[in-house]
Amino acid sequence: MVVVGADTADRIKPAHGGPAGGWVEPPPAPIYPVALPGRDGTGHLRRGARAAPGTDGNGPGSGLNQIINPTVFFVLLVLGAAGVCLALPRRGRTPQIVGGLVAGLAAGLLMLALGLKAGREHLPNVYFYIFSLVGLAAALRVITHPRPVYAALYFILTVIASAGLFLLLSAEFMAFALIIVYAGAILITYLFVIMLATQAPEEGQEEVLAEYDTQAREPIAATMAGFLVLAALTAMAFRGLPNVPAPAVANPDAMLASVPRKVDRVLRNHGLLESGQSADLSRVAEGVVVLPGGKELPRPEWPEQLRMTNGELLGFNLLRDHPGTIEIAGVILLMAMLGAVVLSRKQVQLDEEAKSRRVTQLAEADAAGDPAVDSPLGLTQQPAHTGGGGV
Amino acid sequence: MTTLAQAGYPDAMSHLTLAHYVAVSAIMFAIGLIGFMTRRNLIIMFLCTELMFQAAGIALVAFGRYHLDFSGQTFVIFVLTVAAAEAAMALALVVLLFRRRDSLSAEEWRDLEG
Amino acid sequence: MIPTAAIPALLSSLAVAQHDGAQAAPAAAAALRDGPPMYLLIALLPLAGLVLCGLCAAWRVKSKLPAWLTVACLAASFGLTLHLFLTHFNGADTTPMRVLGFRWLHWSWGSGVGESFTSNFAFYVDSLTCVWMLFVTGLATLIALYSSEYMSHDLGAGYNRYFAAFCLFVFSMSVLVMADNLTLLFLGWEGVGLCSYLLIGYFYKKPEAVAAAKKAFIMNRIGDLGLLMAMFSIFTAFGTVEYARLFPMIASGVDASGNQIQMSTWLTVVTPLLLTAGAFGKSAQLLLYTWLPDAMEGPTPVSALIHAATMVTAGVYLIARMLPLYDADPDRTVLTFVAWGGAITAFWAATIGMAYYDIKRVMGYSTVSQLGYMFAGLGLLTSGGAVFHVFTHAFFKATLFLCCGAVMHGFAGQLDLRRLSGVWKMKGWGVVGFAMLVGALNLAGFPLVTAGFYSKDMILAQAFSNTDEASIAGSRAVGWLLLLTAGMTAYYTFRVFFRVFTGPPMYEPGPDAHAHAHDDHGHDDAHGHGHGHGHDGAASPKGGTPEEHFHPHAPGWAMNLVMAACALLSIAAVGVYFVHGHADAHGHESHGGWVVSMVDHSSAAMHAPHGGTLFGRDPHALMYWLSGVVGATGIALAWFFHGAGRTTSHTSRADTLFGLVPGLRTVHGAANAKWYVDEIYDALIVRPLNILSHVFHLIDQYIVDGIVNLLGAFPRMFGRVIRPMQSGEMHGYALGMAGGVGVILLVVFIVSLLVN
Repeated sequence: MVVVGADTADRIKPAHGGPAGGWVEPPPAPIYPVALPGRDGTGHLRRGARAAPGTDGNGPGSGLNQIINPTVFFVLLVLGAAGVCLALPRRGRTPQIVGGLVAGLAAGLLMLALGLKAGREHLPNVYFYIFSLVGLAAALRVITHPRPVYAALYFILTVIASAGLFLLLSAEFMAFALIIVYAGAILITYLFVIMLATQAPEEGQEEVLAEYDTQAREPIAATMAGFLVLAALTAMAFRGLPNVPAPAVANPDAMLASVPRKVDRVLRNHGLLESGQSADLSRVAEGVVVLPGGKELPRPEWPEQLRMTNGELLGFNLLRDHPGTIEIAGVILLMAMLGAVVLSRKQVQLDEEAKSRRVTQLAEADAAGDPAVDSPLGLTQQPAHTGGGGV
Repeated sequence: MTTLAQAGYPDAMSHLTLAHYVAVSAIMFAIGLIGFMTRRNLIIMFLCTELMFQAAGIALVAFGRYHLDFSGQTFVIFVLTVAAAEAAMALALVVLLFRRRDSLSAEEWRDLEG
Repeated sequence: MIPTAAIPALLSSLAVAQHDGAQAAPAAAAALRDGPPMYLLIALLPLAGLVLCGLCAAWRVKSKLPAWLTVACLAASFGLTLHLFLTHFNGADTTPMRVLGFRWLHWSWGSGVGESFTSNFAFYVDSLTCVWMLFVTGLATLIALYSSEYMSHDLGAGYNRYFAAFCLFVFSMSVLVMADNLTLLFLGWEGVGLCSYLLIGYFYKKPEAVAAAKKAFIMNRIGDLGLLMAMFSIFTAFGTVEYARLFPMIASGVDASGNQIQMSTWLTVVTPLLLTAGAFGKSAQLLLYTWLPDAMEGPTPVSALIHAATMVTAGVYLIARMLPLYDADPDRTVLTFVAWGGAITAFWAATIGMAYYDIKRVMGYSTVSQLGYMFAGLGLLTSGGAVFHVFTHAFFKATLFLCCGAVMHGFAGQLDLRRLSGVWKMKGWGVVGFAMLVGALNLAGFPLVTAGFYSKDMILAQAFSNTDEASIAGSRAVGWLLLLTAGMTAYYTFRVFFRVFTGPPMYEPGPDAHAHAHDDHGHDDAHGHGHGHGHDGAASPKGGTPEEHFHPHAPGWAMNLVMAACALLSIAAVGVYFVHGHADAHGHESHGGWVVSMVDHSSAAMHAPHGGTLFGRDPHALMYWLSGVVGATGIALAWFFHGAGRTTSHTSRADTLFGLVPGLRTVHGAANAKWYVDEIYDALIVRPLNILSHVFHLIDQYIVDGIVNLLGAFPRMFGRVIRPMQSGEMHGYALGMAGGVGVILLVVFIVSLLVN
């Protein structure tokens, strides 16, 4: 993988002259870090080069071929579909384990196949494989486990696995935020409700497993539909991936100018700065920190911690680029809270004594001509609305 | 990309690696979709939608990483927010529905039949 | 093509030397007088009568009021006709008169010939029309009066219905006769057919009556097809259907825009043939006659008016009116056909009449036979003779029918001549007997004192007067056939008379003898038990069914009056023969009396040649003797076999004849069975049509309905397939959505692959 820095900007210039003979300034297009064979830095075909089959982004199977052999891909998908279908819960002796194994095999082979085309230097981390397989296996278990509580627990495992994937993607803040919010809050709520909504076991029974949990509904059709979506989605995605514009290289150090206090702290910790002094960060984009006294600190000499962390960068992005969305998110949360409260306003079952008191109170109110007295706690009797079960 | 996690700005990712993450995300999404269509327990169905949210989140972060743009992660924050709000409302509704029919089966509710 | 206007010149040069009084030239049809709209009432008064009878029915009148209203309206109509005649057609000026009612149909899609169609509600009255209307309205009035008593047992809804239909009939007939264009004539044509249906089927609870009504209507319709096609072809060729414009065109051969009209075979032969088909259907000739005898199921006044005097003569009227078109053919093929058709029918019907026992049906066949005479007259180029025969026949046939009706009315529906005898001798039946005798003499053509003699004679004589130049092939053969038929007519008429009215008085009551006062309207039955007129001399009838207390019911004053009137009119018609009409503009007088002269002044005038001879003598003079002799012979035979020496009602000397002549019994049986014509028609036409209709019914039921049901089944099947999709289950919907998304993505993917 070639890192393209700012000094490679001159590579943008084509070796030959432009259409009118003069040199034409190219538009500031993102620079492709990957020098694909036959393409120059702008991604266009070099003169005289023929596009390799499947790589020019125009022929059938193009793009997909770059990533994975299509036949292998679809075969593995079918295998995976079969596995998932077998794994879905059903009554009686189930081949769930077999299904799970088959699905796992398919997933593993897929990862392998993806790696073949990628070549050694483009393979992800080994931890990626671990986390992804764990995550997918847990996800499969979520949908196939007959008991709801276990499904929720497996889901927590999925969340942890995807948090691991986030870590691999250098999004450590998100990883832990995910664990805290999802696993720590949402899933707990789910568990609460599962417990709440389980029917009480009768005498002599260990637990009641509802019929709707034990049997999957139309497994074959659902699996087929799901894998159809998957096939289409992935095929299109894989085909389009090479055409996705390359990541833009931004100078990460320029952001340091936004956190002067952190810079000062780090420099102070490393003894490069006296307390009360602050560094000059006007040329930090070039990689130079000017200490007071005029001494220049080039980048190779920077201390280890003098760089932006993920959380800081994320924070800047969140608050600087998407402030309105934060507000709206807050409003959403508020409404959700209110909504949940309104929805689950429960009809409190009054005991007999309280009921009779209530009835006389209402009768007096009627005789006096007042509108029906409303209890401040919202315990109004609304017999007309009760459909059954007391909502 | 040989280290586990980097402090500071990472290097750019190749699209071949991106393919791996996209594949994971897609598979997890498909699994969630199948689960939604298959299971009859209302709560498990919502759980499967959460699974789909997860998959979307992975895809978002992966693309954000690919483009070296933090908007991916930002958006995942918002997805998280929405997922939380939705979970709250959904569970409240599930509780109400359960009280009506005393069953969590989604097949109990077929009044729009015919 | 010889313009018809040239023929009189040709013939006059031949005929003047031969005979006195060449036929008059046809009146110029180009000129028209405009008549006062008052004469529209001639047709509209019966219509008013219809409305009044309808009101009577609505108010459930139970008296004889509808009858009096009808008689009043018809009498007024007759009075107006008389006024019309006396004021406008009783002089030398016989220009046709036009009375405009209102603009009825008028379409124009171009300005050329044949590109506009006009048919107004207007009357075209010339002398032919006048003659016709006089006897139509006159007889209608009389018979309405007769019906007032005849139908009196049916007071109430039936009575009102009868007179309403009666008025409608007279209206239709008036419109038919007085119409100024073929379309209006067709309106009247259909109207009389309808009323015939309504009135024949008056006793709608009797299946035979209903069947007869349907038969009449359907057979009329067969003829109507011919009439319609003729109308279409006339319009196509001439561009108009109005007489006033048609006759000059036919005469001159030039149409309205000055172009020569193509007198093709289609126009001169086929179109008149189609008209003839219509006329034969309406007038019960040749193949289409079987409905008329069956039509005797209706009440007798109906038979008298409609099936003797008016409706059935409409066919004759049609041909008489369209004679210029028939004459446009120099070969006169269709006229020959008409002559032969009429003659054959006359003979055929007479054979059946000789063997039949039902006296009313015998009269029916006699009508068919006499109509044959009229058509033969037209075909033999004596339109005057034909119309004169129509005129006289109307009166004497009406008389005969009315008398038969009286017999039927009085003997509880008994019409079998083997079961009635000596009615004239019974008390109260004198008038009936006298009228019957007069009518029978007329029908038989008794020499000199009967109008029937003179009218039949004209036709017979003409048959022999035709030369080869007249182009009527076989004219003489027709004449002999008609002469033979005249003898047969005389025989069977007096067979009826002698069997029923003379001999020992005896009777058997008919099928309606069980009538009580509260009987239903379905029977033409005796009115309760004896009015007091009915007791005859023979207290216990010999050979009669011992129905307790059955007394024949002699007719009342209304019936007697009308019968007498008709009989007298039949006699008075003789005078008509001797009253000469006025000379026309050319100074020619017609030979044959007033009616003939009226005809000769109208468009129906024909140029009958006078060249032929009969046994070397003038046919007219000789025919007086010949037909007289033949008639007398017929009467004598009838007397010998059926009158003399008869002691019972059901045997006569004719029966011994059957024993003497071998094979005569089978012939008689066959004739009595109407020569099985009805059965043949049933097998040849009715059955196959029935089968065909069943086939069509099956096609309709299975194929047409099947297709429609199939079309309906598709949405249903579709719905059955689609409906489970809406199961109300969320999973199903989710599955559908996911599958749909997958499919769409796949399609997009594949399309993008293909495009690239």
